[in-house]
Amino acid sequence: MATKIRRLILTAGWFIVTLVAGLPLFGIIVGLWPSVTISWDDVSHFFAYNGLASSILSTLFLSLFAPLLALYIGFMVYSQYRFNPRWQALEKRLAPLLSLPHLAVALGLVYLFSSGGLLWSSLWGIFGATAPEWLGLPHKSIATMLLAISIKEVPFFLLIFSALGRQLPIKNWLLQGRALGYSEMASWWLLVFPVLLKQSRLALLAAMAYSLSVLDISLLVGPNIPELYAVVLYNWQTGFTVEEQNVAFIGNLVLIALLSMLIAGIYLHEWWSVTTLRRHAVKRTSLKIVPISRLFTHWLGFFSLLTLAILVTFLVWSLGWNNQEIVQSSSAINWSFSLWQDEWFFIQAPLINSLYIALCSAIIGVLTTLLALELQRQNKHYLPDYIWLMAILLPQLSMVYGWQISHTAIHGGYHSGWVIMSHLPFTFAYSYLVLRGPFQSLDRRYELVAASFGYNYWQQFWKIRFMLLRPALLSALAIAFSVSVAQYIPTLMIGAGRVTTITTEAVAIATGNEQSITAIYMLVQAVLPFVAFLLASVVSQRLRGSFDVSH
Amino acid sequence: MFRINNCQIFIENGCIELPDICLQNGELLVLTGPSGMGKSTFLHWLLGDTVEHAKVSGEIILNDIQLNPLNIEQRRLGLLMQDVHLFPHLRVIDNICFALPSHLKNEKDKSLTQHQRRELALNMLNEIDMGYVANHFVEQLSGGERSRVGLVRALANEPKALLMDEPFAALDPNTSEQVSQWAFSQLRTKGVPSIMVSHDLNNIPPQAQHMDLADFYRSL
Repeated sequence: MATKIRRLILTAGWFIVTLVAGLPLFGIIVGLWPSVTISWDDVSHFFAYNGLASSILSTLFLSLFAPLLALYIGFMVYSQYRFNPRWQALEKRLAPLLSLPHLAVALGLVYLFSSGGLLWSSLWGIFGATAPEWLGLPHKSIATMLLAISIKEVPFFLLIFSALGRQLPIKNWLLQGRALGYSEMASWWLLVFPVLLKQSRLALLAAMAYSLSVLDISLLVGPNIPELYAVVLYNWQTGFTVEEQNVAFIGNLVLIALLSMLIAGIYLHEWWSVTTLRRHAVKRTSLKIVPISRLFTHWLGFFSLLTLAILVTFLVWSLGWNNQEIVQSSSAINWSFSLWQDEWFFIQAPLINSLYIALCSAIIGVLTTLLALELQRQNKHYLPDYIWLMAILLPQLSMVYGWQISHTAIHGGYHSGWVIMSHLPFTFAYSYLVLRGPFQSLDRRYELVAASFGYNYWQQFWKIRFMLLRPALLSALAIAFSVSVAQYIPTLMIGAGRVTTITTEAVAIATGNEQSITAIYMLVQAVLPFVAFLLASVVSQRLRGSFDVSH
Repeated sequence: MFRINNCQIFIENGCIELPDICLQNGELLVLTGPSGMGKSTFLHWLLGDTVEHAKVSGEIILNDIQLNPLNIEQRRLGLLMQDVHLFPHLRVIDNICFALPSHLKNEKDKSLTQHQRRELALNMLNEIDMGYVANHFVEQLSGGERSRVGLVRALANEPKALLMDEPFAALDPNTSEQVSQWAFSQLRTKGVPSIMVSHDLNNIPPQAQHMDLADFYRSL
């Protein structure tokens, strides 16, 4: 009887984790399965779209190069910091830095460095001049997108390298390299980079899939004519006519084709990079990239400062700063909380929605992750990571489109329950990324000792494994919470405008020209993850647990 | 000639005052001693690596050049550790090419081409009848093969001296004896002065100098 109950529980567990982990693939398949027959007219309508080729090419360029740029910068930063005595302290700063939403970074850069940006115009204001438009960061351009995504993804790659680096004898490789007469930096590139590059394929794919279908920052800082492919596709997906819906199916197919091209790009780049470095290793020729690495010695400091500057800029804007006034006289600025007071009435509902949805989806996501890990441990076999991480490896726009079709087909209502469910695959994937390491590396002998004291399986799990994992669970919760707060596409498409969050409202307001009000929403959106990390850190310090996210 | 003078290793609650060491080309010094006596610390100090949890002082002179102010890459001392650390992304032949010095010239007094460097590395492997592993990756080699390739790689770099940190400890006793005898004869033939840290008193070749660090320990 006990065996039957156990088997039933295990089957139910596998059903739940398969459902959550498999939702992204389900969405993609539905999104590629048109309910009506696609005619050649639809295909020609798709290809006749004005500026399609240019839109696809600029999207491919952005999706390929922004993550690669971030990967290279991430490696240069990692190689500079890894054996720095302060590395462990710096490592702890990575997760909160990573949590700053992409949208906040992208708009923050514009608010700081565009011709009317706080920093840029203040600099020119010192000399009594107006910042020339052409010298500032363009409000909407591929360069702005490239800069925002590559800067934002660096902490992600640092976190990945940090986790991978713990399992590699990097110190000994470098020692060997140096003993053979190579400089430390050359040893990093020739000996460590090829290995880390191969092991970072999934991370690179996740960053590329994100760049490929990101909608919120494409709408706000992406180029206008032509728009990035995500914007074009979204317009078709939300179109009312049958033709537009048919074209959207073809668009989804093309999005998957673009993802395949990016996967090929990852392998091609890896082949090129490893072959080039091997040629240098064999011929013992000098590497030109070595001196560049030193430019990134202070990157973490720079990024922390940039994060702070972005938050301060949003705050200053929300308190009445206006770039037109700074030129005339800074004393003319009328600092006040009136905007906050006026907006407070409107911000309450989306704020409560954001908190409620993020909290629920984060808790369910983390618990599902724990279930997935425990079921695999029971099976004594861990499935490949890509199976669990599909939500971040596949283009979001196509998968959510599939969910939307299914949601409409079953006449699901427009309430926060569905939005929570649409956030769940993402909170699950990020929790899995964070928890997998600590869960797998937890010393099994703790549970053996407990078993020797007569504790049964469930007692061992809750009293030992769960308790030891509490700090890592809190970190996973904070990351999952941040991921949910920043979700735009699922909230917009499944909530259908009836369920609004801080992020959807921020994008809606930012598409207008209300920079001061946008700043309020951006500040709230950026601060929420920091509060989550602060809470997680405070509670973590009060807990006695031997494993945290840094293990 | 490899000389180490006035060397003191400060470990927890004590100090080891080594007598002056002088190794002629091809000579081998084996250092033994209990755990925590600073054997590996001493080797890392000789190599020029940062030494943590201990302080080592003394003068290192190799062929009349003082090594103390030089960093690891300038000292050009070979290093062979217990785990040989062959680079996993490079084939055996490329591991050796990686170690070949850049100043090597061909008959036209030009730097060696990639092909010529590979040929040279293959010759080195063939000299010890291991040409068959040239295109293998690390995981395809046995423990003994890894140790041999590790030594070939270390010698390919033309080190002025070689430091070995229990290089054969991970091998089974039979293989360990075979590989170590082969390695010592290689070092003698090439005339490379070497220092080896070991915990195995049975593995000391008769012609080697031997020093037990415990003999020079005094508590502070």
